[in-house]
Amino acid sequence: MPKSKKEIISMDSISKIYHLGNNVVKALDDVSISIYENDFISIMGPSGSGKSTLMNMIGCLDVPTKGVYKFNNELISEMNDSQLANIRNEKIGFVFQTFNLLPKLTSLKNVEVPLIYSSLGKTKRLQRSEEALSIVGLSDRMDHKPSELSGGQRQRVAIARALVNKPSIILADEPTGNLDSKSGIEILNFFDELHKAGNTLIIVTHEESIARRAKRRVELFDGKIVVDE
Amino acid sequence: MNRIINYLRDAIGGVLFYFGQTKLRTSLTLLGITVGVSSIIAIMTVLATFEKSYSGLVSEMKTNVFYITKDNPIQISFGSGDRNARNKPNITWSEYEQLKRSLTLTKHISATVAEEPSDRTISVGKNELKNRLTSFWGGDGDILSLNKYEIIGGRNISQQDIDNRTRVAMIGYDIKEELFPHSDPVGQTIKIDNLPFEIIGLLAPKGELLGQSMDAMIGIPISTFLQSFGGRHWRRADIMLLLESESMDTIDAATDEAVGVFRAIRKIPPGEENNFYIATNEQLMGTFEEFTGYLTIFIGLVAGISLLVAGIGIANIMLVSLTERIKEIGVRKALGARKIDIFLQFLIEAMLISIIGGIIGIILGLSFGNVIAFFLGQDPVIPFNWVFYSIQICASMGIIFGLYPAIKASNLNPIDSMRYE
Ligand SMILES: Nc1ncnc2c1ncn2[C@@H]1O[C@H](COP(=O)(O)OP(=O)(O)OP(=O)(O)O)[C@@H](O)[C@H]1O
Ligand SMILES: [Mg+2]
Repeated sequence: MPKSKKEIISMDSISKIYHLGNNVVKALDDVSISIYENDFISIMGPSGSGKSTLMNMIGCLDVPTKGVYKFNNELISEMNDSQLANIRNEKIGFVFQTFNLLPKLTSLKNVEVPLIYSSLGKTKRLQRSEEALSIVGLSDRMDHKPSELSGGQRQRVAIARALVNKPSIILADEPTGNLDSKSGIEILNFFDELHKAGNTLIIVTHEESIARRAKRRVELFDGKIVVDE
Repeated sequence: MNRIINYLRDAIGGVLFYFGQTKLRTSLTLLGITVGVSSIIAIMTVLATFEKSYSGLVSEMKTNVFYITKDNPIQISFGSGDRNARNKPNITWSEYEQLKRSLTLTKHISATVAEEPSDRTISVGKNELKNRLTSFWGGDGDILSLNKYEIIGGRNISQQDIDNRTRVAMIGYDIKEELFPHSDPVGQTIKIDNLPFEIIGLLAPKGELLGQSMDAMIGIPISTFLQSFGGRHWRRADIMLLLESESMDTIDAATDEAVGVFRAIRKIPPGEENNFYIATNEQLMGTFEEFTGYLTIFIGLVAGISLLVAGIGIANIMLVSLTERIKEIGVRKALGARKIDIFLQFLIEAMLISIIGGIIGIILGLSFGNVIAFFLGQDPVIPFNWVFYSIQICASMGIIFGLYPAIKASNLNPIDSMRYE
């Protein structure tokens, strides 16, 4: 990693511990990682190794049990609600492993949600949402509700929603898991473009081919980082 | 600003959608708000129509007139009603005559006794009056001028009529229109409960007051009234005295004198309460106002309770809506919604529900109130200030009862709520 790049995320000895009865689950166990501007990272590891937990932590959705997390050199633990909301809204685009689309809303409305919490006008918002849907190839499914879409189409709506606010950091939890290889490759090509355009990408994946596209590879095992290269 | 418009758009969509999903619960809540608001609006509409004709009533009455009666003639106040009324002696003809001789500050004094309304059968030949009389009264001649009636045909009841208990009658314009459509009623005979009376005078039409025709009336000499219709003990029958002072300025002195003289007639020892009722026109109107005041409080209570129940309904709807939407709230937060955004979204939804209920209530209340007003013969009115208050009440109710669910929703943590199934 060229050290000249700006460090945007810094995690120091982060742990996330769940107590379930007498069981103690260490979803993350003393994880330290630095992420720089324009990184392209793949996160791999067996199921239950803590990948999604780490992503949620990076995305400022989850709070660590222990450790220090700095975003753009600022302590997350010291930020107030609206500062955190702002980071989630403007800085980070999150593709959730389980999509998390709003079932009552059409694809277009789903994609529009992050823009509702920015200060964009109605026409601008529609235009941006349509644009984002056409990037993932769903221009003809704008008025469909999630229940009227296939699994792969839902995943693509989730991707469009993550991109719609043009965030600089994209966190994608198995973004191509439900896609056939052709549309999967299209999405990945688009991720490559985003990376070239200067965005930071962090992608959780089980597929070696995707990991190879990334410039940096992180592997988790039992909540610990075992590989970072 | 944009955000607020966004919330509103979202909220309206959300509320309408939610109505579709939970029709019963929503309609029950709406019903509560509707009942509350419509009862306020209906009563205020009726009161407003009353107020309109009440000012008419006041201008109908002379301000230098006062009454002596057994009891307050306007028996509409709650609670404060006089329990001793039954034990009070009737005001009798002989007391009237003694009073008449002793008063100096009173310009006119007259006695009257009335059945209002009256179910006596009124007929001319084979024709019978269809509607019941608004008033059948006995009086002496001054009664008419005191009540601002004008004679347009024939003559007034005279002292001779009183002294001789003649069977003569004054009729209101409605009676002429129905029973003597094409002829002059003066001089003709009219039967009251089969007793023949000669019509001596016709009165100019006065129109309606509080929904009742002031022209559906017949008046006869008070002495005749008491003897023919007052029953066996007519000498002890209760009459009402109308007194008129020289002017508005002397009315207090005149009432004081009347009280003193009447107490003397009845030999009431000093320190004991009056066993009769004396009041000016204005005081009588005060009773009326007191009554509408009580009514307003009572309706306020009814409306308040139904609004409270409705408010709890709103809180319940919002809380159920909250548990149904925990996941949605989590997703919205993950995508950048702040606490305040979620808070406002919920609050606006609660306000919308109550305002929608309020608007339905206002429409129902206005219709209902005006239907009542119509049957009371009043012109339609819209109590705009109360329409405005109702909207305000509903909006504040939405805020008050939406507050707790809104705070709860806004404090949800994104990751846990997204996982919530
Ligand atoms: N809310 C929670 N309560 C208790 N345990 C949890 C909770 N969330 C996660 N865990 C545990 O933390 C561990 C890591 O979970 P995580 O979702 O990060 O795994 P993952 O690497 O994303 O797995 P997968 O590849 O299946 O998505 C798991 O053992 C899981 O059971
Ligand atoms: Mg996972």
